[in-house]
Amino acid sequence: MFAAPGIAARDLVWTLVRTDFKTRYHGTVGGFVWALLKPVSMFAVLLGVFSYIFASDAQYKVDLIIGLFLYEFFQEATKTGLLSLKAKGYLLTKARFPSWVLIVSSASNALITLTLFSVVLVLFLAMSGHPPSLAAVGLYTIYVLLFFVIATGFSLAASVLFLRYRDLNQVWEVVTQAGFFVAPIVYPIGVLPERLHKFLYIWPPTPVILFARGVLVDGRAPSLLGHALLCGEAAAVLALGALIYRAHAPRVAEAL
Amino acid sequence: MRRRVVLEASRVSKAFEIPQSRRDTVRAHALDLFRRRPTERLDVLRDVSFALSAGESLGLMGRNGSGKSTLLKIASGIYAADEGRVRAHAAITPILELGIGWNPDLDAIDNIELLGTVMGMTLRELRGATDRILEFAGLERFARLELRHYSSGMAARLAYAVAFHAVRDVLLLDEIFAVGDAEFKLRCHQRYRELHASGRALLLVSHDPKAVAQFCDRALLLEQGRIVLEGPASAVAAGYLELLTAASDAAAS
Repeated sequence: MFAAPGIAARDLVWTLVRTDFKTRYHGTVGGFVWALLKPVSMFAVLLGVFSYIFASDAQYKVDLIIGLFLYEFFQEATKTGLLSLKAKGYLLTKARFPSWVLIVSSASNALITLTLFSVVLVLFLAMSGHPPSLAAVGLYTIYVLLFFVIATGFSLAASVLFLRYRDLNQVWEVVTQAGFFVAPIVYPIGVLPERLHKFLYIWPPTPVILFARGVLVDGRAPSLLGHALLCGEAAAVLALGALIYRAHAPRVAEAL
Repeated sequence: MRRRVVLEASRVSKAFEIPQSRRDTVRAHALDLFRRRPTERLDVLRDVSFALSAGESLGLMGRNGSGKSTLLKIASGIYAADEGRVRAHAAITPILELGIGWNPDLDAIDNIELLGTVMGMTLRELRGATDRILEFAGLERFARLELRHYSSGMAARLAYAVAFHAVRDVLLLDEIFAVGDAEFKLRCHQRYRELHASGRALLLVSHDPKAVAQFCDRALLLEQGRIVLEGPASAVAAGYLELLTAASDAAAS
């Protein structure tokens, strides 16, 4: 119960995001530089290496980098989301506040990294003579937000289930490792028979990665149906996650 | 005139299922899919009712394992009751499980913001209160020290200080006055009296009959999850001592 519920809740989210960031990068100016440097240096390294290995296909390396970063975001966001209640459980036994705040804010670090990467990527594309249009950047932003919604939906369910199934993180790690090869990150989706494509699209990283590449690199927007399906998928994952969360949330503090 | 009830618990019961075997992984659940797991039922609270009014200081006494802490968690809304219900008509600030609950990698100021916002304060309020909180805890010199370097006593003092400043209408305290040196205890006593005098409602869990008699208007005695005595604080404190004496006599014989 907050005196000024809106402001206090906003301040709580902000404090969680800020302290998470600070814990991760040790709160120094150097720490912020590290946070900034990680996506930039990774981008540079991958670009350098892939330019050498895949010298004949300039587009492949950019496609690959986009896939790697988006997948890295998904892996990181779902992993920290799954562990969020356990990790921040000490706050839950202190006061009454909605525990979903901890889950939703847990992906903030991953989102910051992805945002910085996206800026670097757009700058790189612009400098290499293929600047994406404003509409393309807008669509890409929507895909990232939908991806965030999907990761959050998963985390809502997984974080409460993790308190009952303590090896869920191990299981999820194996799933995301296998999922890396389900999503067309290292291979073009065209190498697989067409009839399999619809199954690949069920795995959320697949449509997000393909759509992002489509608008940023190819300058080609996916179909309206594709967009509708992605929105539907995000809504479904969020709704299911919220349902599972709601069923378990009242007993979360007891299960810690 | 009857005073406004700010917190009421009616017929609250709570039991914990204590499993006889561990089964907390996907693997274990998959292997034991069709086997029932034997559990033991531990009734922690049975049919407990009480009401706390604005301006009142209520004591909650009981031996270890009598259900005090569980009742406090249910009253705070942190645990859910199995039966019965708790209704809060004002903002509740609990101080529970002191000493733990900090981010060890952050300094005192960041931790104050973290705990304070969790307790429902805004950052604006917190920034205005940070100096007073540190002063209350006697930790001004250690404001920029990471919590990992704090002793458990220092961390507990900080938790008290934050909660004492975060309280709006109702303060629930588990074993207050149990930390710190004489000077800090005195400050806590003072602050407690100030809150009481300003019309806040206070619920104090304690083992200490003297503290309950001194700081509470009324008290409850819990024994095996039931309220066995309710009345003026000094009478309940005496009842608690009798209960202890009876228990130790029974153990001796």
